[in-house]
Amino acid sequence: MLSLVHRPSMDEREDNGRPAHGQPLAEAKNAISQTSNLQNTSSQADGEGISLDPVAQPLAKSTDTLLEGNSATLSAVPGDTPTAPAETPLVSPRIRLDKKHPLAIRWMHWINFPVLFTMIWSGLLIYWNDSDNAYKHPHAVYRIGVGPFTLVRFFPEWFWKAMNAPYHVTQGLGYHFFFMWVFAINGILYVLFTIFSGEWSFVVPDRKSLKEAIQVTLKDFHLSKTLPPQTKYNGAQKIAYTSVIVMGMGSLITGLAIYKPTQAHWVTTLLGGYEMARWEHFLLTMGFCGFFLIHVTQVVLAGWNNFRSMVSGLEVKPVEEPSLEAERRSWG
Amino acid sequence: MTDPDNELTGAAQQASRQPAPETAKPVSSEVTPPIAPAEQDAADAAVLRESRKHTRRSFAIAAVGAAAGYGIYQWIDHSQRLSMQPMPFRRAFQANAKLSRAIFDDRALAPAYPLKRAEDLRVNGVYGLKQTLVPESWRLQLTGVADARSYPQYVTAVTAWEYRYADVKSHEDQGHDTKVAPSADTAEKMAPESMVAAEKIRQERAGRMPRGLEEAGRSRSTLDPGTPGLLLTMDDILKLPKHDLVTQFKCIEGWSQIVHWSGVRLADLIAAYPPAKGVDGRLPRYVYMETPNGDYYVGYDMKVCMHPQTLLVTEMGGSPLTQFHGAPLRLHAPTKYGYKQIKRIGLIAYTGQQPDDYWTKLGYDWYAGL
Repeated sequence: MLSLVHRPSMDEREDNGRPAHGQPLAEAKNAISQTSNLQNTSSQADGEGISLDPVAQPLAKSTDTLLEGNSATLSAVPGDTPTAPAETPLVSPRIRLDKKHPLAIRWMHWINFPVLFTMIWSGLLIYWNDSDNAYKHPHAVYRIGVGPFTLVRFFPEWFWKAMNAPYHVTQGLGYHFFFMWVFAINGILYVLFTIFSGEWSFVVPDRKSLKEAIQVTLKDFHLSKTLPPQTKYNGAQKIAYTSVIVMGMGSLITGLAIYKPTQAHWVTTLLGGYEMARWEHFLLTMGFCGFFLIHVTQVVLAGWNNFRSMVSGLEVKPVEEPSLEAERRSWG
Repeated sequence: MTDPDNELTGAAQQASRQPAPETAKPVSSEVTPPIAPAEQDAADAAVLRESRKHTRRSFAIAAVGAAAGYGIYQWIDHSQRLSMQPMPFRRAFQANAKLSRAIFDDRALAPAYPLKRAEDLRVNGVYGLKQTLVPESWRLQLTGVADARSYPQYVTAVTAWEYRYADVKSHEDQGHDTKVAPSADTAEKMAPESMVAAEKIRQERAGRMPRGLEEAGRSRSTLDPGTPGLLLTMDDILKLPKHDLVTQFKCIEGWSQIVHWSGVRLADLIAAYPPAKGVDGRLPRYVYMETPNGDYYVGYDMKVCMHPQTLLVTEMGGSPLTQFHGAPLRLHAPTKYGYKQIKRIGLIAYTGQQPDDYWTKLGYDWYAGL
């Protein structure tokens, strides 16, 4: 079987000049004709933007596309597969398994989920202590208002009762000052992993991300029909995921400013003082809650194939879609 | 580079086995000669089979992982309590304190503020303050002093000193403290039904016990009867250099206020009455303090007591301390939460044992270092 190679649509791919393997020709043509509509002008201008290297791949190599890099062990190739002996090796499947999320990222993602939940919940138990609206000292910090005018105070009493928060302060302190280490270490390992594996380049936004994010948001609200091209994440995802990582760092820094406001007083002072640091810590928590709601909604809308990839790492894709594994190889 | 479409036309013949995927953009049917749909479907099915194999395996591992996570929470929840904290959390408090001492060494100075930013401190927590102390009857009991007999204030039993009160011992709550479950009246305002009910039963059974004693109980570090030491008067204290401080008071409840404090440094008192070496030949590492009747008590590292901002306060906001702010002598330590800043100090004891601490018994951190 002869495979052709097409260049993927993202700038990074064009720049590094290394092709993705094994796109069957018809799909390659298809993908490219689509790609050519989406190329930005700079990449076309340098004469390299769209090229097609008619490199014939050996059969075994081209079957990598079934499961990038792992075809030998996984034998997802028709003909190689004992369970499908009748199939001719000359028929390539229209779909393949793409390695979407590395194992380490999946573990860290799922560890973070209950740990962040624990931090938010235990933080709420601690914060209840300063929410004594019914008595003499309504809290000054956790509110929306200017000067003496207050629009909203966090939180109303029905909310506290629903959360069973009253008088669980020491429980909150216990959980918070234990799981803060898990949250911090897991988060730091995640950032280090993305840096050293190169995965950061899927996540960190670039110049186009904001425009893409707007297009994606318009599409989500059915105000537009076109979607910009993407590899692993679209512009909105890049901005959201990068923001939430920065917010995590912010929670660690504001947390330290609250935890050690004397010994680390320069951090507290830089953040605007003790009360401001507490307010910022709280606001970031609200941000995590908002992120969580949108994230879960989007995951539900994106469907099973996408959700499953955060557990198994693999996503079923039409063969002509850009391969993430090929892009990873292109990082060198 | 060449036009991709031109290149493709030649190569397309060779790839013509590939039909257009149903899910994606259709490729013109001219370049896609028919192939047996059954073969194509079988090829796709093989991929999906592979996918399912991975999915089953991954979700099995995920289930084990989730069970392990649940197990960790169960382990914490069911572990033995040490001072009302599950053991892993109490150990974490201690490890955090150790790390904090190692990194910060409790030496940093808290930021000071301009005097005009100082506020009136709110009253919060009245344990050991409910009765009105007769000012003339106040003495500071000081034990563990080196060569104590050489001081004129030496007595053979500091514990025999009698504090006099202007009123009889009251069993009424005075003020509300949100760190612990409130009385039934207070609870009704915002606590869950179950808590209100439990509080009512408790009050009916026990009457209105003073809340301080009811909750944390007596101190394990209080002096044995007949302990010798010094009985210092306020004049003895005021002989030490006076210092003013405008620093932030931080309550573990979350609120904070900038306060103008005046008084003497605890470090100066300790220098004037230096501690005796213990039986192990070492200087005591800790300082224990309690109110005159022992209702409230705190433990400190000696190092924190030697901090230049740890103040024995006689005035707040330029006025003498009031009863519920701890007259005649209270502590301010900007490196600690408010619950360690004891009001109405009756006893200061140098000790080699880590002293008992009121709120530690109720689940809070002993170190409480800011």
